[in-house]
Amino acid sequence: MTDQMSHPASPEPARLRPTRRARRWSALVVTGVAGALLLAACGGSESPSGGGSTSASNGKPVTIGISLPLTGDFSQPGGEAKRGYQVWAGMVNAKGGLLGRKITLKIVDDASNQDTVVADYTKLITQDKVDLVMGTFSSLLNFPASAVAEKNGYAFVEPAGGAPKMFARGFKYLFFAQPATAPHQADVFVDYIKSLSASDRPKTAAYPTQDDPFTRPVIESMQKQLEALGVKTVFSGVYPADTTNFQTIANTLKNKKPDLIAQGAVFEDGVGLVRSLKQLGYTPKALFQTSAPSNAGQYSDGIGAANTEGVFYTVSWNEQAKTPLNPEFVAAYAKAYKAAVPAEDAADAFAAAQVVQAAVEGTKSFDQTKIKDWLHSNTVQTILGPLSWSAKGEPQGDFILAQWQSGKVQVVGPKNAATSTSVVYPKPPWS
Amino acid sequence: MTELLQAVILGLLIGGVYALMASGLTLVFGVMNIINVAQGAFLIFVAMVTWWLWKHTGIDPILASVITTPMMFGLGWVLYRTVIVRIRGSSPSMSVLLTFGLALTIEGVLNLTAGNKFKSATPSYFEESFRVGSIALPKAQVYGFVAAILVLGALYVVLTRTWTGRAIRASAQNPSGAALVGVGATSTAALAFALGASTSGVGGSILSVLYPFFPASHYDWISRLLGIIVLGGMGSLPGALVGALVLGLAETLTATYGSLRWATLVFYVVILAVLLFRPQGLFGTRLREDAVA
Repeated sequence: MTDQMSHPASPEPARLRPTRRARRWSALVVTGVAGALLLAACGGSESPSGGGSTSASNGKPVTIGISLPLTGDFSQPGGEAKRGYQVWAGMVNAKGGLLGRKITLKIVDDASNQDTVVADYTKLITQDKVDLVMGTFSSLLNFPASAVAEKNGYAFVEPAGGAPKMFARGFKYLFFAQPATAPHQADVFVDYIKSLSASDRPKTAAYPTQDDPFTRPVIESMQKQLEALGVKTVFSGVYPADTTNFQTIANTLKNKKPDLIAQGAVFEDGVGLVRSLKQLGYTPKALFQTSAPSNAGQYSDGIGAANTEGVFYTVSWNEQAKTPLNPEFVAAYAKAYKAAVPAEDAADAFAAAQVVQAAVEGTKSFDQTKIKDWLHSNTVQTILGPLSWSAKGEPQGDFILAQWQSGKVQVVGPKNAATSTSVVYPKPPWS
Repeated sequence: MTELLQAVILGLLIGGVYALMASGLTLVFGVMNIINVAQGAFLIFVAMVTWWLWKHTGIDPILASVITTPMMFGLGWVLYRTVIVRIRGSSPSMSVLLTFGLALTIEGVLNLTAGNKFKSATPSYFEESFRVGSIALPKAQVYGFVAAILVLGALYVVLTRTWTGRAIRASAQNPSGAALVGVGATSTAALAFALGASTSGVGGSILSVLYPFFPASHYDWISRLLGIIVLGGMGSLPGALVGALVLGLAETLTATYGSLRWATLVFYVVILAVLLFRPQGLFGTRLREDAVA
């Protein structure tokens, strides 16, 4: 039941795939442990409802409660999210804090376990009586965690957790702090195709995608939108996650000759298809892949730097994006963590914190109902771009359209975030 | 027509590579009754070493098997002498547990030392093809196919034409009889296990060129390899070759003319069908113990 929900909305697949596979083998152990923890968690789940502290500036530090997967399957993105939150707290504290109060982060480890995350947020809200909470990582953990916050009337801004199931519950306190849910992540690419003159647009397209909850909706939605534009579908197919052999798909594509190939690629599959297309000697006019090309070094190493030219992808964040405060975030992160470049997960957490900050400053209070109402009626500027939400907490924005150009990633859309005004189209033949 | 021919050729080439990777597994089972679940981890380990050598010295990844083959032979020998020897005479299920533990250990060590990131060796030819008319023959797969034939041929010759090979087979068929004529049981078994491990030298180097890999990739490979040797008949070298070619063809033809979704599954359907009618696999022989069981 949980496998569908086990990935953050924009996973860095290279890190998440291993854990997914490892889980297959350790499922039995996990089930046993989860059972024990479930018993433990049930003990403390009855709790009074009501918001956090409402006093605005009584001089006491603001305590923000967060449970993160610092160990276990999601320890990689969890650790990055922790860094993102900490960089944010450091930057806000350096400017005098939140409504004049210093921020203290109370971060606890849920070991990537659904029952622990429920126990954690219950304790943070009802016993520690934190002023604010912020979300955890992955749909798997945010799903139960957001239910605890909803029940207790706490605004819950999550940096990941874009599975459609999250928003089917009609929660009023839930906000997803990324620009778009999976079915809308390719909209910015469709917009780009629309911007081309009718004669320049691709006439035909092929849509191979991995059977993955975060690639399929992207590709299927893109297919629908492009078909409405008159782009003829010549191939569509879903392949299982353990497919290693992409020459066959490449052979089929070569015979169908699509102008556009849009692949729902996690990582190895993206590399595998590019290699196979080159081996079989077919270059499409445009190549789009969901998340594979966002793994900068591993992707260009995998297919050869010269072959990256012109590949499109969409992503929630890019370190070069010209969004407000983004350069400052990248610099502060580098300063704190040995000149490292932030992972997308860290940026998403930073943005979630920015959303909470904007609501607190906008309402001049820590009142959870006011924060929730404010977020439902305002747009927040974040390092991911402007964010606003539907009544169910789904974001209404756009992802960033990125393209590999001369061995580097450039943001080519939307215009206000672009780092390059030129777009490589049609794609040059493989080197 | 071109599409079909291309699909068949791709299927046969990839099948050759699968056969190369499965050869050590079937050898070790055939002569020792050990199901070496760590064979997949051996492949990934070699791929990692190959990648490292290629990255830091520029040596051609396939040529690097000249280094990794003896290395794996030595590692296999040491592993047998120190670890595997302790379960001699136990049931094959014991060997599954033990070698699964080995696989996890190798995965963990690789995670700590090499990091949990995708690697791939990309020599100049890694995505190039030979072309015959409009048919493409990906170079890396062609090399892999040739290597598979060479390695399988060499193993066959060693097992049937040399004293060592005959000793290995003798101690598999009749341990006490072999001991009577002067075959040292432990050293022969260590030799056989080392030989099986050494096949991952060439297999791993081809893998490093063909696919991106990371420490946990071995799960995908071992399940496929076990499928191949069950189909071919556990312990049979020709069986591994035929099983692998069937797998390669089944994958490509299903993906081309059926559905992508079924491509990786159809092979297991074939196994199921074969096992219904020939429980010993295509090339396997039934033993007296099997009939009793």
